Amino acid sequence: MIFDINTATGHWPFRRIPHEKLPALKNLLESKGIKGAAVVNTHGLFYKNCHDANIELAEALSGKPFFIGIATINPAYPAWERDLQACVSSFSMKGVRIAPQYHDYQLGSSFAREILSAATSMNLPVFIPSRVIDTRQRHWLDTNQTLDIREIGEFSLSVPSSRIIVTECSVSSSQVLDKKKKPLYPGLYFEISRMSSAYGQEIAKLAKLAGTDRLLFGSGAPFKEVTPALLKLEAIDCTQDVRKQIAYKNAHQLLGI
Amino acid sequence: MNYRKYKPVDFHNHVGGRKGKLDRKDAKMRLMAAEILGIEKICISRPLTWDSPSPDEVSACNDIILDAMKISKRFLGFCFVNPGYASQSLEEMERCIVGCGMAGIKLYHQYFICDPALRPVMEYAAKLGIPVLMHAGKLANPHAQPRLSNAKHFLKAVEMFPETTLVQGHIGGGGDWEWNLRELESLNPSARFYIDTSGSVIDAGIVKRTVEALGENRVLFATDGSMEEGVGKILDAGLSEKQMVRIFSGNFHSILSGRRY
Repeated sequence: MIFDINTATGHWPFRRIPHEKLPALKNLLESKGIKGAAVVNTHGLFYKNCHDANIELAEALSGKPFFIGIATINPAYPAWERDLQACVSSFSMKGVRIAPQYHDYQLGSSFAREILSAATSMNLPVFIPSRVIDTRQRHWLDTNQTLDIREIGEFSLSVPSSRIIVTECSVSSSQVLDKKKKPLYPGLYFEISRMSSAYGQEIAKLAKLAGTDRLLFGSGAPFKEVTPALLKLEAIDCTQDVRKQIAYKNAHQLLGI
Repeated sequence: MNYRKYKPVDFHNHVGGRKGKLDRKDAKMRLMAAEILGIEKICISRPLTWDSPSPDEVSACNDIILDAMKISKRFLGFCFVNPGYASQSLEEMERCIVGCGMAGIKLYHQYFICDPALRPVMEYAAKLGIPVLMHAGKLANPHAQPRLSNAKHFLKAVEMFPETTLVQGHIGGGGDWEWNLRELESLNPSARFYIDTSGSVIDAGIVKRTVEALGENRVLFATDGSMEEGVGKILDAGLSEKQMVRIFSGNFHSILSGRRY
């Protein structure tokens, strides 16, 4: 059983992405042995009133239990509190993504803290992508901002008990542990698609030192190929129980499914 | 998929080290990763990234590679040179390639691949029948690496150095790979040109599009340290058995069969 915590649907304006629609994405993931996925709507990065992307996603997800919808909210835009509430109560979404790089605010701002507080009080995990694509190859109209793991970590400390799923981030154990090898940021969970596995066993180290519940399988599909993440999962030097945790149990626990 | 039967050769990778001394821990971690992922051979180099490394600094880097070659036959060395020091570069090639069995040349962005300063190195590489692998890309911010070669430079270089086998490094190295592939559509069919698939970028379709643009006979499997990414993006490219054979190792062996020393 594998659950993919990091997938997206919707059109990306800067490059043709195969499998961007939900049926094609589901077929792709199933062909790789993946049995379920958390999904965000890429349009939410670009719409000014990004709640329309949540409405689109909810419509597209109807009758597709394979996917768990994740809201995209811009806390610097009016009525975001109502949008968040609607995503949970009307659309049964199980988490919220914020993307300050695309919505023009800083992670250290009051906007960001307010939505982290609100999500935490609703028991929702907050997804934060370090980036959506590699900025070295970005389109001239795309953002060049990437969020650093320490910046996300410091942000997590601003709201006790918050749970943040960091996606698309190349994390190593030395960045998130103190000198005594204790976690610096207890609220962070890490999606593995950009972490090194066979070389240096970084995922295994992080699981051992930060906690086996902290790591989540994610592929980045359909932006990225899926098999690299599967190879990472397979290459982790750990017990089968820990591999199962990373493959799906931790995600299920976080999303309450 | 059982890709291990293709005996993959990683055409572009590195080992760590400082002042002529191999970082053995890093080397062993690379060997372990190769073992886990079924990579048979790893081509390694230790390039320097600043403007004009001296001949002594260059030799110290190659000493690191020679050390790595001693600890495992899985490592195949590539000799780094700074073509700005022409005669010393030829001496270093003699020492490392002819004398110690390294398999190719590695160039960094000290010069563009089509700079006339490269002529002595290119001509000697052609004489030895060895490939020249060049760090390359098309970055959104060109100021980050102002002498970074892209496909346009390679199109010129294959005309300037027609007897030398040139390899454009890491199509997945973080630059605009689509731009590079569009440029390469006008590649001279007789050019001795290859491209390697390494780099952390695993955009959906990157290898499929590379093979469509250039044909499988010009594409080399490589990781540049992004190990699972390197293997996984080949497996996801929808390639035929014949294409897999060429890319994972066949093209590498074809290149190596041209060695004349």
